[in-house]
Amino acid sequence: MTIQVTVRCFSHVREALGKDVLNLELEDDTDTSTVENKIREITGEDLNGVEVKVAVNRKYAQKPVMLKDGDEVALIPPVQGG
Amino acid sequence: MNISAKELAHWLDGSRKVAVVDVRRDDQRERWPLAGIDTVEADLEKLSPDDLKTTTILVCQFGIITQRWIEVEDLDEVYNLIGGAQAWNAYKADRRDLSRYSRQMVLPEIGEEGQRKLLDSLVTIVGVGGLGCPAAQYLSAAGVGKLNLIDGDVVDITNLQRQPLFRSDRIGDPKSDVAAEALSGLNPDCVVESIHTFISEENCQKLLAGSDVVLDATDTITARRLMDEYCCWKSIPLIYGGLYKFEGQVSVFHLNGGPSYADVFPESVTGGGTCSDDGVPGMLPGIIGSIQALEAIKVILGITPNLSGKLLLYNGLNHTMDQIELNV
Repeated sequence: MTIQVTVRCFSHVREALGKDVLNLELEDDTDTSTVENKIREITGEDLNGVEVKVAVNRKYAQKPVMLKDGDEVALIPPVQGG
Repeated sequence: MNISAKELAHWLDGSRKVAVVDVRRDDQRERWPLAGIDTVEADLEKLSPDDLKTTTILVCQFGIITQRWIEVEDLDEVYNLIGGAQAWNAYKADRRDLSRYSRQMVLPEIGEEGQRKLLDSLVTIVGVGGLGCPAAQYLSAAGVGKLNLIDGDVVDITNLQRQPLFRSDRIGDPKSDVAAEALSGLNPDCVVESIHTFISEENCQKLLAGSDVVLDATDTITARRLMDEYCCWKSIPLIYGGLYKFEGQVSVFHLNGGPSYADVFPESVTGGGTCSDDGVPGMLPGIIGSIQALEAIKVILGITPNLSGKLLLYNGLNHTMDQIELNV
């Protein structure tokens, strides 16, 4: 069984990936850390050293959260410009 | 034409012959009588310009209905009282002319009581750059009583594209001084203090003490963490703003025990580059700094909902705004 999740990317992640949104098909026992690792794998060294926080369905996830079909995962790095 | 409460008081004190016509509803007249002034009562819908034989001041509750009526009728010797009965009674209470705030005092969330609260408040803005300039401008105009502007930097030619308090002829001058000078002419009710220094571990406590709200408009995470720790310790609301190219983030930290910056981004020592390193369109800090200023007055006045417990993510390319719930 697989699930579909929508990954929304912000600031450095969006830039490294070259797009705002990515649809992923994943195994159904996947958690958010897999999504983050997958994005880091795709983007290579562009995100090295960048802290990325995760929200699932617009709720901040302090720890990895198990995902279900249709979930939206947001990847949010800190920004410092002012 | 328009006159302020202060001007009307001078006219009446100087025995200028004027008629003050109160066009409010009966319940408004009863609840908020016009203090110390003889008025004629009239219904604006039945009032004809021909009925007004002498210099006339029309008074409604907030000075909006009467202003429109005068504009439509195109009358010369008829004046609208700016801010209406609300501004007049506020002026009579303590000789303070609140007419300039009439467009925000008309909002029930602010009102006269809220305006006085703003006038008694102290907001400290750390960083007088892309975010700090618009935030300081709007907070000064809104009638925040005291603004402390902290920045150790000087105006550079590359700042001018996005920091509209600065002009070409002030390049090389301390940012906090130039901003304080620019704001001094904007609203005499707002005292602006320039503090030409960078925030540090040594001076943080001294610089932020006593603030009702601290506005984070810095461009380093090191400075942000110092403010975060101090504001957490003292339970001072911290209005966070950060930028990356076309994107911005805003949140309110430490409000009534709400989350802190360290709860959301515990590890980071850097968030990429600064606006100087990565580039930014000037309007983006204008938008984010204005949202920070709005959150600041909402926090001071206890207006809800606000961005405490939420992280606002703004994207200036497609104009999306997302709110992440910070259940930390």
